[in-house]
Amino acid sequence: MKIKLPQMYRCYRILGWDFTITPARVVLLLLVAFMGCVALTRLLTGFRYITNLTDETPWGLWISFDVLCGVALAGGGYSTALLVGGFKYQKYGVVARSALLTSLLGYLLVMAGLFLDIGLWPHFWRPFVSWGYTSVLFEVFWCISIYTTILTLEFHEVITERMFKFLHPYVLKALPFLVIIGLIFPMMHQSSLGGLFLIAKSKMFPLWWSPLLPLYFLISSFFVGSAMVCVESDLARRNYAHRIDPHIMLQLTRVGGRIMLVYLALKLIDVTRQGQWGLVFQGSMQSNLYLLEMVGGILVPLFIIFSPLAHRKYGVLVYSWLVVAGVVLNRMNCVFTAMYKSGDYFPSPFEFAVSIGLVSIGCLAYGIIVENFNVLGSRRVTQHHILQKTDLL
Amino acid sequence: MAVLVDLTKCIGCESCSVACKLWNKLPYGKEKSRRQKEKDLNDDNWTVIQEKHVEGENGKAYTRFVKKQCLHCLEPSCASACFSKALRVDPDTHAVVYVPELCVGCRYCMIACPFEIPRYQWDEPLPLVTKCEFCVGRLKDGDAPACVSACPTGALVYGERDALIARAHEIIAANPHYVDYVYGEKELGGTQWLYISDQPFEKLGFKMGLEEIPPSTYTHAYLSKVPFLAAAWGLFLAGMSYYHHRRAKNEKKPPEKKEEGDGRI
Amino acid sequence: MAQNISRRDFLKLASGTSLFGLGVLASGCASEEKQSGGDGWMPDQYHGRGDFPAQLKGRVAIAPDNAAIVRDDEKCILCGQCIEACQKVMSVHGYYPLPIKDETACIGCGQCTLWCPTGAITERPAVEEVEAALADDEKYVVVQTAPATKVSLGEEFGLAPGAIVSAQQVAALRALGFDAVFDTCTGADITIMEEASEALMRLTKKQAELPHFTSCCPGWVKFCEYFYPDLMEHLSTCKSPAAMLGATVKSYYAEKQGIAPENIVTVSIMPCTAKKFEAQREELGVDGRVDVDYVLTTRELARLIKRRGIDFSALSPSGYDSVLGESSGAGRIFAATGGVTEAAVRSLYYFATKQQPPADLLSWQAVRGLTSIKEAAASVPGVGTVHVAVVSGMAAARHVLDEVRRTGRSRWQFIEFMACPGGCLGGGGQPKSEFPADEAVRRKRMEALYAEDKGAPRRMSHENGEVQALYREFYGAPLSARAEKFLHTHFEDRSGRLFDRETQSQA
Repeated sequence: MKIKLPQMYRCYRILGWDFTITPARVVLLLLVAFMGCVALTRLLTGFRYITNLTDETPWGLWISFDVLCGVALAGGGYSTALLVGGFKYQKYGVVARSALLTSLLGYLLVMAGLFLDIGLWPHFWRPFVSWGYTSVLFEVFWCISIYTTILTLEFHEVITERMFKFLHPYVLKALPFLVIIGLIFPMMHQSSLGGLFLIAKSKMFPLWWSPLLPLYFLISSFFVGSAMVCVESDLARRNYAHRIDPHIMLQLTRVGGRIMLVYLALKLIDVTRQGQWGLVFQGSMQSNLYLLEMVGGILVPLFIIFSPLAHRKYGVLVYSWLVVAGVVLNRMNCVFTAMYKSGDYFPSPFEFAVSIGLVSIGCLAYGIIVENFNVLGSRRVTQHHILQKTDLL
Repeated sequence: MAVLVDLTKCIGCESCSVACKLWNKLPYGKEKSRRQKEKDLNDDNWTVIQEKHVEGENGKAYTRFVKKQCLHCLEPSCASACFSKALRVDPDTHAVVYVPELCVGCRYCMIACPFEIPRYQWDEPLPLVTKCEFCVGRLKDGDAPACVSACPTGALVYGERDALIARAHEIIAANPHYVDYVYGEKELGGTQWLYISDQPFEKLGFKMGLEEIPPSTYTHAYLSKVPFLAAAWGLFLAGMSYYHHRRAKNEKKPPEKKEEGDGRI
Repeated sequence: MAQNISRRDFLKLASGTSLFGLGVLASGCASEEKQSGGDGWMPDQYHGRGDFPAQLKGRVAIAPDNAAIVRDDEKCILCGQCIEACQKVMSVHGYYPLPIKDETACIGCGQCTLWCPTGAITERPAVEEVEAALADDEKYVVVQTAPATKVSLGEEFGLAPGAIVSAQQVAALRALGFDAVFDTCTGADITIMEEASEALMRLTKKQAELPHFTSCCPGWVKFCEYFYPDLMEHLSTCKSPAAMLGATVKSYYAEKQGIAPENIVTVSIMPCTAKKFEAQREELGVDGRVDVDYVLTTRELARLIKRRGIDFSALSPSGYDSVLGESSGAGRIFAATGGVTEAAVRSLYYFATKQQPPADLLSWQAVRGLTSIKEAAASVPGVGTVHVAVVSGMAAARHVLDEVRRTGRSRWQFIEFMACPGGCLGGGGQPKSEFPADEAVRRKRMEALYAEDKGAPRRMSHENGEVQALYREFYGAPLSARAEKFLHTHFEDRSGRLFDRETQSQA
């Protein structure tokens, strides 16, 4: 009888830190390396060679995916924090640290993406001193900056367990304040990311423009947060055998689902109030994508999560992926479909390379951090099977 | 200050666009990586004359030349959208100007501008936004903008906005061939560049059906609520936190134990 | 240890950090705040509020598809000289009510190219096309030279204005590789054969069509089509000499030499930019073959010669090719204002009386000179007194035309119009002079032309042996059916492209 051998990996220990090398990570590393080259070229040569952006489409893949989707998907951190820290639903605490880490990484990557997307990157600090306070982007900029700082500080609860241990008590002491501040700012900028498009009313396809845009973005970031936590936990479970009670996941996603119902209701009222049902079913590219977004990303997931299907093996997971895809589509639609003109823009391979590279950095960093810090459950984790640990240095 | 463009008087000589290039020292005919289908604004063309062929109501073919440049809104969306005050309204002239020193390059102004005027230096390593600056330096010296000063047919007239609007309506009233509409009078809160024409504006590439309120109204309505909502939300969270803190402490510790400072603040 | 931090310590740390942060923010506030733009310059006349009258302002409109002239915006300094030429000399700019209909008004005269101080406005270049034709072995490239070029080309090579360089020009053209070099003066003689006959017929039979307007100047013809379409019936139906010669080369000459007409490329060396537009007129062609394929201005020819490294002054003189190379004195003076009239009246006199005209008509001082409007009368036995007017410069033409329009029939029976002041010798394709409208230079060129006439063995067009042979062998007689087909044209009312009374507000 043949026994299937588990996958074996090599793990290096450098200065006490574990680095596990798996084939997937080698691929990720290569992607990151390529992205690094592209990013460097971009910073040195501008947008000419690296991007396909034009005056007609000044915001492309980087803003829509890296920034808008990145921030929305990183909303898992604050939605979990809200439940655990704000409303003391301690049972969700098991996912709090991993949600926090994903958010932190998400935000750092958003900032990296933003940094690559701004033309005058040496001037990135200008809004700190030259206050364009009438701009929604100003609010976004400050909130994201502060929130990333807060997230970093919050994450020091985990870091100081292992490094700089003398700071740990300070961090613990500050934590309640940080949690509260850390719940104000994300609410503000999640909504203000939607508010960014308020000013573009005359240029947007009416189905995506509404005075409620900020609220839509806020709500959708909340429910996609829990869906994202679910997706992450599933990925973590596959890699680290870190198992979370499916019942808790179902409850968590159902909290998201209830919020999603509110979102759906608002959208329906909004479309009716503005008399846009004709636009929804006009059969154009815009209306079809709107329908896809609403049916595939909202109606179907809602049906799954509040029906017996949710108790099936992959019920919650399918729901979560659909919601994530739906929100990604929504953000893309806001930038591209709603402001579609000639369709001349399609992201260049390099733009894709940067977006993929940023996600790869996130995956790698997540892996290395959970293997070295206490994020998932009570202890550091390892990939299932380590062939050999090699101490270097 | 304002400019009235009488499209019926334009003969397409492009003195204005050459004047703009001269005064702003802009390069000519540089090969661009971003191709444009017709002659249009770009980072080197802050104003252009577009040739529009329209069919009149009588079925005849007409050629009209449309000058395109920043309309200098009274309530500019771009300046409202700029988060580093690189785009701003010049207090003396009310021109919408761009300060490269402060620009971050986020291109939110390009998203925000309802007339799609700001253009980007896509081929520069450290690109800037570009647009008509209303020759703000000339205006401050008492000169007309370069383009207006060079116009040989009087198609461009520079003056006070109210006076020009009155003049525009006089011209329209005196001549039945004009479309009874002053473009820019009410669009999005009004612009400082005003157009009158004898051919329908929509046929000449003008964006019609715009609201009379500036787009920044929507952001303002939203942003003005944010501080209060944030403060309320913060207070609520703090309250919740304090409540849970107290309850946890009360559950953990017997009431007779001496209290720590926080209870007495 | 965790419990040992006091609230005070914590607050100290927090507030200290915040203060430091605020300090950093405040320190960055000082920054230069200059808006972009305004780094260049404008000519002095553009300072001021812009609504004051200015002597020179802006520039003329030149459509991108203008066949005669082009402009390089990068060289334009908005000096306003082109408007000066177009408006004051040519009375085109500013002489049509706004709004325009659907064409940018330009008669192609090219005076603005002479006035433009930076060389921004030039003729639409055709040098490359001509060089390509020369390099093509399949093509038989025939060139003709206008009379005005013979007295001006030398200026481009350092010779004094008025130096007669026809023989060197022919030699240069041969050196450039043209297969045959003909003389537009021969075409001018053909034109006189036709036009004098036509004028005589109008004078004697079709008096309703009087006054007779000449039609050899393409700038004037377009001007008439634009602004005086109601007077177009007075235009002679004759093609211009260059077009007549072109049509003859592609028919008579091709047949005589046994060359397929489609392999012949006709190039004309002209003092004129409007000829480039004329060459593109659809009606100027026979059986689908255009009369003149390419037009080079005098300036372009000079550039071509220089580019090929041909030492103009060292060339040994050469003569025109036969069959279409002989010219009478009448053909040679076409280039001066009054020349066409003088040439036409000489032959008209002969056609009417079968006698040689008197000596004063062979040196008709009244129609000579650079004055913009000249009047004269010639008494032709059997016809009576022919009153002629000679006009050069379109601003002057408006006076005469308005008079004709007002009075219906004018006091003149024959009116010669030339768009450029002084006639072709002051053409828009001629070498530039020190001043854009340098009368001294024009006078020198004119004197040279009349000297050429005086020295010619034959003074009258109908005496031209080659022309006589041509009529004998090919056209039969002036105004014959064949001559009508090859040598006459029709005109198009272009006013509808400029004006649309329905939408125009003020005249």
